[in-house]
Amino acid sequence: MKLYISTPPHIRTNKDTKRIMLDVIIALLPTTLAGIYFFGYRAAIVLAVACVTAVLAEFIWQKLAHQPVRTGDLSALVTGLILGLNLPPTAPWWLACIGSIIAIILVKQLFGGIGHNFMNPAMAARGVLIVSWPALMTAYTLPSVFPALDAVTSATILSDAQVAANYTYMDMFLGNIPGSIGEVSKAAILLGLLYMLIRGVVSWRIPVVFMGVFAALSAIFTGDALSACLTGGVLFGAVFMATDYTTSPMSRLGQFIYAAGCGLMVALIRNFGAYPEGVTFAILLMNIVTPLLDKYIKPRIYGTKGAKKNA
Amino acid sequence: MLDKSTAKGVFINGILNENPTFRLVLGTCPTLAVTTSAMNGIGMGIAATFVLVGSNAVISLLRNFIPDKVRIPAFIVIICAFVTMIQLLMQAFVPSLYESLGMFIPLIVVNCIILARAEAFASKNTVFLSAVDGVGMGLGFTLAITIMGCIRELFGNGTIFGFNVFGQGYDPMLIMILAPGGFIVFGLMLGIVNALTNRKQKSGKEDAV
Amino acid sequence: MHSSGEGKKQTRNVPIKTFVSDSVAIPMSMHIGAPSKPCVQKGDKVKRGQVIGEAVGPLGLPIHSSISGEVVSVEERLLFGGAPVVTVTINNDFTDEWVEGIQGHGNVETIDPSLIVPIIRDAGICGMGGATFPTHVKLTIPEGKTCDTIIINGAECETYLTSDYRLMLEKPKRVVDGLRAAMRAINVHRGIIAIEDNKMEAVQAMREAARGRDGVEVCVLRTKYPQGGEKQLIKALTGREVPSGKLPLDVHTIVINAATAAAIADAVIDGLPLTERITTVTGAVNKPSNLQVRIGTMFEDIISACEGYSEEPGKIIAGGGMTGPCTYDDTMPVTKGGGGIVVLSMKDAKCAPESPCIRCARCVEVCPMGLDPFKIKNFCLVGDIKGAKDHYVMDCIMCGSCSYVCPARRQLTAAFKEVKTAIMQEARRQKQ
Repeated sequence: MKLYISTPPHIRTNKDTKRIMLDVIIALLPTTLAGIYFFGYRAAIVLAVACVTAVLAEFIWQKLAHQPVRTGDLSALVTGLILGLNLPPTAPWWLACIGSIIAIILVKQLFGGIGHNFMNPAMAARGVLIVSWPALMTAYTLPSVFPALDAVTSATILSDAQVAANYTYMDMFLGNIPGSIGEVSKAAILLGLLYMLIRGVVSWRIPVVFMGVFAALSAIFTGDALSACLTGGVLFGAVFMATDYTTSPMSRLGQFIYAAGCGLMVALIRNFGAYPEGVTFAILLMNIVTPLLDKYIKPRIYGTKGAKKNA
Repeated sequence: MLDKSTAKGVFINGILNENPTFRLVLGTCPTLAVTTSAMNGIGMGIAATFVLVGSNAVISLLRNFIPDKVRIPAFIVIICAFVTMIQLLMQAFVPSLYESLGMFIPLIVVNCIILARAEAFASKNTVFLSAVDGVGMGLGFTLAITIMGCIRELFGNGTIFGFNVFGQGYDPMLIMILAPGGFIVFGLMLGIVNALTNRKQKSGKEDAV
Repeated sequence: MHSSGEGKKQTRNVPIKTFVSDSVAIPMSMHIGAPSKPCVQKGDKVKRGQVIGEAVGPLGLPIHSSISGEVVSVEERLLFGGAPVVTVTINNDFTDEWVEGIQGHGNVETIDPSLIVPIIRDAGICGMGGATFPTHVKLTIPEGKTCDTIIINGAECETYLTSDYRLMLEKPKRVVDGLRAAMRAINVHRGIIAIEDNKMEAVQAMREAARGRDGVEVCVLRTKYPQGGEKQLIKALTGREVPSGKLPLDVHTIVINAATAAAIADAVIDGLPLTERITTVTGAVNKPSNLQVRIGTMFEDIISACEGYSEEPGKIIAGGGMTGPCTYDDTMPVTKGGGGIVVLSMKDAKCAPESPCIRCARCVEVCPMGLDPFKIKNFCLVGDIKGAKDHYVMDCIMCGSCSYVCPARRQLTAAFKEVKTAIMQEARRQKQ
């Protein structure tokens, strides 16, 4: 009789890395479909290029570096998809391509692959792109389903109050506004969040605290918290980018601080900074703070209540 | 291994084995700040080389006269003299380069490559060897920051030394000539140089066996 | 975290049946503490309940023959994990005759309290939930300490196992009697029977049995692994936290397993030593059951009694899926602490390879002790024992929750066990 020997536990949850990544992809589907619906085939091409490049880049890198190929865990696909959703629908194909390569090679693989990147790869790649090609990255068009105004370049609502006045809250909520592919439809994003919460992929802490702090500060700075929350990429960032496991803190208190910091930074950059949208830089900044939060926040260990400090 | 007591050994050492930028990671401030174009890189490199050779030679000459306790101020004074010289020379002969390097020329005074070589080499070796070390280190520095300047200029502006490489259709990647681009290229270069050195050492060891 | 109902469906509603095998192999080390000294020889005739191993040392316990028959060998055999232990093998003559001198005291409420602890010791009773700490030592309160609550652990949060559940359902009175005996022995007036809320039938039965008994209450706990961990149980029931590195008695509490309580009742009321226990046999067997078996019954005999393996076995676990050690073959005996035999099929037994940590923080969320498993694992990986110790690895209760939830399939609990062993060895060496 041949038996396996191992230390306990002998049973494991069926939720492995791949399953979690698959859940994230499923959660991203509503917003992906909404983006394609609003912006047409161009959005689909951008998304496809970003996804394919990301997976290929990871595969080729791991082959060249003689590492075990882990494209099967779907994390590269998630990165590519999130990056694609962060691009404007008018983005040329090479922009998506370069973005994915930066995300996978520069930010993820060079720092040790999955679990070791110090920044959210898609977010960092978007940061590089927005600094390098600001014109291309903000060349938003109106949604093609918007009657009579097909594919006209427009400023994002954020940078122009005049433009903002053209849209109702319902337009903003459903996604009938100019913007990046994935960020426009708030309804679809919330649907994705709901799915992730039900599946236990993310906890409520980061998205809720992020949006809560941001809404409160926006109400103070601009007086209109609702339109602040419904415009730009803040909701997409709070739900899909700030919740990235690797670059968010592990402890609960750390997650609260991190999310509050994100909300604060977005509000500050939007209202007082040079860029109309600050989600990218806010999250990148807090990503860098994460190791400090992990290091200095000590968990409360059972049995240490009221114990005298005799260190 | 190179023999560090001969002029040739000292010279090669400065360019390759102990390249101040990629191996010793000294003088990173100008490395990151002025390498936005290849021309800037070469200009900065030559200026630093001039100061390095001059200060190394003079410090070596005076090494038995400078009291140990005040050696750093003394070194700085000597370095300052050469920096002032090169600054005035550049202002007179290459005013455009002088303009684009700006603040970073006077800052050569506190460039740690120069101080490090003064402390680690010139104050312990003969005048001739110190001068050769200055040339080697200076050229190593020049080479390194010119390479970085080329890379950053190529991607960030589509040109090398002002010559258009990618053609008119190229939409430059602005980040490369901004501060983050400096860090990214520097990090990648360090990694590549380390990888190459490790490979060389490994194959060297295998040969020895 | 998963609910601890996992894997229990198969045997939940299977009543306890008795099974007696042709022979038993009784290891001399079934409890924490020095192994007992065998006092029989090959060829000796023994009766059920006869002492075959004498207690050694302060944590020692006597071991009794669980059947009547003939000793066929006294030799070292490998026990779980591959450690050799002196084992007495006895062939059954099926007369099941008890040794002379068995005498019960009839009623736990009337017996002289000072007699109870010696009875428990002589009956060879140790913690039957798996920790196997001698119960009489637990019930001997050292000077300067006090106890105000005894908790009967009927949580049975461990996966697959239903033996305690069936016991509480079928013999609730025994459990209450055992609790009362323990309470009277050390003059404690509060006894809590703790049961998870997925075993409401057992709660019902226990409530009925506890009615009218002095100071005994039944508490329902949320179903959540590891609810039945000693420290978690005390926190949930009394709000007290056992300080790091201390024992439950330091917060005036003693925790006794439900099966142990029933064994105490058997010893006090009927004078019977510990010779049998209920064990759950489940997983890849044809007829999953709860069996009352004699101590020392071979796994292979028990599995044939359950009509054999239903598919090729990949792993046999002595205990539950989260904490039980696995055996290298099926010639292992049931010990005093062995509440279950779980057979995993080849498919379930395979361990997925470790992949990189994705920092999902699930391990931090589930750790019942509030530790940072991912950090400790990193210390383990680089061999930094001091770092692991500074992050309280010694407080780890080895519940396995972190390894269970890890999506990257990292071996967290196993690494902590290794480090804990290393730290304890180091401490022992320094003492010497």
